[in-house]
Amino acid sequence: MKLKLNINNKFYNTNIDGDEYLLDILRKIGFKSVKKGCDTGTCGVCSVLIKGKPTLSCQFLAARAQNVKIITVEGLGKKADKIVDLIVSEGADQCGYCGPSLVLTTYAMKKELKNPTVEKINHYLAGNLCRCSGYEGQLRGIKKYMGVK
Amino acid sequence: MLMVLSLLQGGFMRFDKFLQPEDLKTALEILKNDSNSVILGGTTFLRISDKKYSTGIDLSNLGFNFIKETKDYIEIGAYTSLRTIETNSTINKYFGNLITKSLENLIGIQFRNSATIGGAIFGRLGFTEINTALLVLDCELEFEENGIVSFSDFISNWSIKRDILKKIIIKKQKGKGSYKMMRNSSADFAILSVAVSNYNGIKIAVGTRPTIAKLSVKAAQFINSDNNKIDEAANMIADEIKFGKDLRAESKYRKMIAPILVKRALQEVL
Repeated sequence: MKLKLNINNKFYNTNIDGDEYLLDILRKIGFKSVKKGCDTGTCGVCSVLIKGKPTLSCQFLAARAQNVKIITVEGLGKKADKIVDLIVSEGADQCGYCGPSLVLTTYAMKKELKNPTVEKINHYLAGNLCRCSGYEGQLRGIKKYMGVK
Repeated sequence: MLMVLSLLQGGFMRFDKFLQPEDLKTALEILKNDSNSVILGGTTFLRISDKKYSTGIDLSNLGFNFIKETKDYIEIGAYTSLRTIETNSTINKYFGNLITKSLENLIGIQFRNSATIGGAIFGRLGFTEINTALLVLDCELEFEENGIVSFSDFISNWSIKRDILKKIIIKKQKGKGSYKMMRNSSADFAILSVAVSNYNGIKIAVGTRPTIAKLSVKAAQFINSDNNKIDEAANMIADEIKFGKDLRAESKYRKMIAPILVKRALQEVL
């Protein structure tokens, strides 16, 4: 079936099978920041923003993405740079595989959480797994971004 | 978690045709006429099932993503995401932390933004904690063909298999509710979940055992006859409810922690 996708405010026409998931289509188009990790909804590395909400692209049927605004980390531009700089300044970026999804989710978290605390941040980011950093360095950078001591 | 399930099962859901019917009547006809069709909810759990369907029926554009408050009820559309329900102030105003607590630890926010309440209920999935919470509320389900059915009737038998769930209807009631669970890590599935309410007499539900949630009869009758006998009622749960084993916990372990969770929940409600 034919599909018109709105990715980072640009339109892309593509052909898909009805049972294909957004993750695979985004990577076929060239959005390689959207990673394929567990592919079963557990690790969070395939997260994108759909209607502004962090969503697992491995669980989202591509056919449902017609006329839906999709944002990947590329679409955040300089807004992503600020988060990345704060995480890197804490020495937290190692293999980098979870980085794009963590940045996207952190960006969405800033918009959603009214009164952020460390507990709320940890809860919000529970679906973003990182197998090498141990989270502490990332959390230091994210706390700075969120204005939490 | 889900990854382990998928690897054990060996593949992902596939279907030949993706259809978005314009109305429920058409959708129901497709569902009834094609026994190998499936209604697509959030496709979070369905995706990791190793099944091939002829037709995937998508109803996400038919307006079933809503939470409405009427004079006596809260109505939740079947396509409402678990995260939307978790963060809805109206729901939390009436049912305390019962519903939120049953949702807030399920994997991650991204997952709960996709998973729908309709999918969680219709699949009668053992690990969905929301089913434990809904059992102790005055809750009904509205289907396209079968009309209104009580939630507890729906999940305790499999008489309704091919129908379309439209919405969940929860009666607004005064009283208290409490939800307790135990899990190995914060974003894993729960080993056990317990919900207690006193909205219309005391109700006790035990879920993720690991099978579908179940209402207590004996322990509930006992505590309703004497609200002071919390310890005795909690201990009765271990023998009344059947517990199974999975990769997260043995049945014996579940049987041991159930009375503790029930006791804590009863103490909060009474």
